[in-house]
Amino acid sequence: MNNLIARAKELLENKIVQVIVGYEAGPTGVARPAFITNPAKADLLIYDERCVQNLAVYLTKPEVRNLGKMAIVATLPVMRSIMMLISEQQIFADNIIVLGVSSDGSLLDIADIKVMQAYIEKSDLGNPVKDRALLVELNKLSKEERFAYWQKELSKCIKCYACRQACPLCYCTRCTVEVNQPQWIPVQSNTHGNMEWHILRAMHLAGRCISCGECGRACPVGIPCHLLTMQLADEVHNYFKVYAGTSEKMSSVLSTFEPNDKESFII
Amino acid sequence: MSDFEPKVVAFVCNWCTYAGADLTGTSRIKYASNVKIIRFPCTGRIDFMLLLKAFANGADGIIVSGCHPNDCHYTSGNFHAKRRWIMFKELMDFMGVDMNRITFSWVSAAEGAKWADVVNTTVTRLREMGPYVSYRDLVNKSVEEEVKNE
Amino acid sequence: MARIGVFVCHCGENISATVDCGKVAETIGKLKHVAYSTDYKYMCSDPGQTIIKDAIKEHNLTGVVVSACSPRMHEPTFRKACAEGGLNPFLCEMANLREHCSWVHEKNDLTTEKAIDIVRSQVEKVKLNSALQPIKVPVTRTALVIGGGIAGIQSALDIANCGHKVVMVERSPSIGGHMSQLSETFPTLDCSQCILTPRMVEVAQHPNITLYTYAEIESVEGFIGNFKVKIRKKAKSLDEKICTGCGLCTTKCPQKKIPNEFEQGMGMRPAIYIPFPQAVPNRPVIDREHCTYYIKGKCKVCEIVCPTKAIRFDQPDEILELEIGAIVVSTGFDIKHADFFPEYGYGKYKDIIDGLQFERLASASGPTTGAILRPSDGQVPKNIVFIACAGSRDPAKGIAYCSKICCMYTAKHAMLYKHKVHEGKAHVFYMDIRSGGKNYDEFVRRAIEEDHVNYIRGRVSTIYERDGKLIVKGVDTLLGAQPVEIVADMVVLATAGIASSGAEELAQKLHVSYDSHKFFAEAHPKLKPVETNTAGIFLAGACQNPKDIPDTVSQASGAAVKVAALFSQSELTREPLVAAVNRSGPPMYSTCVGCFLCQSVCPYQAIEREDFKTRDGKIIKTVAKINEGLCQGCGTCVALCRSKSIDLQGYSNNQVYAEVVALLNEY
Repeated sequence: MNNLIARAKELLENKIVQVIVGYEAGPTGVARPAFITNPAKADLLIYDERCVQNLAVYLTKPEVRNLGKMAIVATLPVMRSIMMLISEQQIFADNIIVLGVSSDGSLLDIADIKVMQAYIEKSDLGNPVKDRALLVELNKLSKEERFAYWQKELSKCIKCYACRQACPLCYCTRCTVEVNQPQWIPVQSNTHGNMEWHILRAMHLAGRCISCGECGRACPVGIPCHLLTMQLADEVHNYFKVYAGTSEKMSSVLSTFEPNDKESFII
Repeated sequence: MSDFEPKVVAFVCNWCTYAGADLTGTSRIKYASNVKIIRFPCTGRIDFMLLLKAFANGADGIIVSGCHPNDCHYTSGNFHAKRRWIMFKELMDFMGVDMNRITFSWVSAAEGAKWADVVNTTVTRLREMGPYVSYRDLVNKSVEEEVKNE
Repeated sequence: MARIGVFVCHCGENISATVDCGKVAETIGKLKHVAYSTDYKYMCSDPGQTIIKDAIKEHNLTGVVVSACSPRMHEPTFRKACAEGGLNPFLCEMANLREHCSWVHEKNDLTTEKAIDIVRSQVEKVKLNSALQPIKVPVTRTALVIGGGIAGIQSALDIANCGHKVVMVERSPSIGGHMSQLSETFPTLDCSQCILTPRMVEVAQHPNITLYTYAEIESVEGFIGNFKVKIRKKAKSLDEKICTGCGLCTTKCPQKKIPNEFEQGMGMRPAIYIPFPQAVPNRPVIDREHCTYYIKGKCKVCEIVCPTKAIRFDQPDEILELEIGAIVVSTGFDIKHADFFPEYGYGKYKDIIDGLQFERLASASGPTTGAILRPSDGQVPKNIVFIACAGSRDPAKGIAYCSKICCMYTAKHAMLYKHKVHEGKAHVFYMDIRSGGKNYDEFVRRAIEEDHVNYIRGRVSTIYERDGKLIVKGVDTLLGAQPVEIVADMVVLATAGIASSGAEELAQKLHVSYDSHKFFAEAHPKLKPVETNTAGIFLAGACQNPKDIPDTVSQASGAAVKVAALFSQSELTREPLVAAVNRSGPPMYSTCVGCFLCQSVCPYQAIEREDFKTRDGKIIKTVAKINEGLCQGCGTCVALCRSKSIDLQGYSNNQVYAEVVALLNEY
């Protein structure tokens, strides 16, 4: 962590970046995002097991962008998010310095995108272990039980769209839910409309979800909506043998194809 | 259940399946009248949300059909559609939506008989499955929820 | 307020036999916004169309639904009728009551109900239609022909003879292509050069054709009618205007040991060279890779001997920028060489040659002036083996396709050999003889029956050298797979035809598709064999797949007609059923967020980038923009776009959504 602070200070003092996006301890001890622009305040930066939020979501926010060139404290999901954002032309690799942190909290030397790519490629890119277990359980249920399960969960949804706001890849300035010609997703919250929203969100993240689980963590009513996108991340790997966010030149699964893509349900 | 007639919407591309269904007509091959066709330029144009809207509006079943791989009028729309349906099907399965109610098929402009067959087998299957009660209940319940909230 | 007119056609009895047309018209007539609804025996007849035209005026209709046959049948008819009635033609939709309803269902209430549902969904759709104007695209009436073989020559001459300008680009120093290398051509055995060279000269002298040899395509931008093409004219190291083509330099060049490409390596050439005596243009170029001056910095013999002082050692490559309306790709093919075949010694046996090398041996202008001589010792081969399908139809070698020309040229080669070496024995190993074509099978029969070529149906497993002879081991499958061993003096492999080197790079520059073998892909295998999936780019000849001269010439003329048709108007008119990315005022400019995932789904490269800038040129936002000239309206991008920022005219989100709802709900 001292390494992280020292590096952050150095970057700010030498004006290599204007802002460090990282974590700091909030008043209750919970880690919260920090936007450090003053080298003297770099000491506030922390990195420990409390720091779980995917900070990449801030990379596309105009308020943060306007601060200037940034360095970002990056766990594996953040690095994969960065790869996706570069490949989808939302950020430029040159404008970002990655302060990579490994799972044990040590600072990684991520000199450039190639180094980051190598680091990502040698990491476990599957879903987080605890979510894998949940997915296995859900997949064991019958179709009717799964329908009932998701109805029960989605009936809680209040359409606050925190899942969307927390996701680094839901960066659209206008979301489909804001379209009313036609009204694809009903404005009000009801179980059916909530389900349509979550189907839409999962489909939009198919082949793009980097399994950070931020959407599920952000949900104020505790819907495990991250399992929807994670299930598809699994399926993307099953069918197309790719993981999202492994390269800056990644082509999206749903905007490319191979003539010999295999399926078994089209007659 | 014997007199139940399912409502089926078919989403088809203009160049293959729509033309194939035209051929079914010119060949005077009879099939179940439950199916109503919506024409799209290409399967690539078919938004997965439209399938959900069909169920929401009371469809008991859906047919999605286009050109065989490599036959797409636009060369690759059906390949993109195929990937989209793979993902959609997996997500629906995971959420417990009954994918036996959706038939995906490739029907070329020369396959008038296949089109009749696709429709008839789909309708026969849906007749056995009965109305899509669970989805309709979900929609109706949601309307009630809204009324209650207001 | 929408005022929709609905016209239900009986189609004689084709519809009314099973659908109660009167009831359809009556029920639909009660719908909100339906201002007029009627049924009639034949809507497509003159009186039928008049009913529509009159109703448009009388009821001031804002949309029309003709409920009749398939729109694939009569949509143009009724759209035209609407236009004549004063309604924008794109405000007319058809409900398909015949092919999709009356013809496929029994007469009962359900069939009529289905008909009502179909019409209702079209009424709801047409309410959301917009009046569209055909898209006009200007056309630059200059064609670019890439590749100067027989395909390119034929296309260029045909287009030029239609009165249009043609630019021909050929990467080698002369046009002529592979055809100029051939000795005789099947099935007539007429001399290839005799029929080709007049065409080559015609290209050079045609007032409408500008020829750039030793030049390659640098980049291609734009779209049909409006391509911007950069051409790299490689430095020939001499001033073509001054050079008289006397050829003195080529005889004096001290560097003479460069394998001659035109002779397929069977002969040598100097560093400053004219590829062959009939070359067009008949001017030498300096091969800088092999020229002593460029390698060692001194020599300049050519400059010294040149009577007109035309040599220019410091000449740079030149980049030309041209405005082009249409492109014909005719880059031809290459063949696999003997080194591709481990079973035949990877090309290490000098007397195993490929088909093109045999052409040069047999050619009167070739390295042996037409005598069939072994490359190893210059002896006349007494026993010669031809192997067809060397590489072709061999999925294990990665070439599953038939190269098409080999059966015929192998028969020709065997015949030419027999004509030149009367006492010699010619054997042909073949898989099947594919001699479909006018006088083709007769030609092969002639080789077998009149020239006594020994045809053996079977593959050759191995060839090795023993005492200066080639031992060819194979089987005769017509004799129960009996092993065959032939002691040959020379072996000719009919090697597979493959895509020309650099085809893939060119395809990428042109944005046209290519198959797994790097052959250019046609837009439709049956009905658009000359078009590519990029509008305004056409194919001619063996760049698409191996083909013989008659097929190549036919296709080249086909491509020329496509170009001439395009050039017959100063403007292109296109159906406006294309996609569009929305636009709004600042600061949004568009709801498009610029992820450009749509770019990779578009089969036509129709999606471009548009920058919105501040007054001082700083980019505020980059969003997608559809090039209307390129978009074909498939709508794949529309369904992909997450922010619903793209929509498709004629199949808009609003329209298809309304159709779904209207099909399933009664109003």
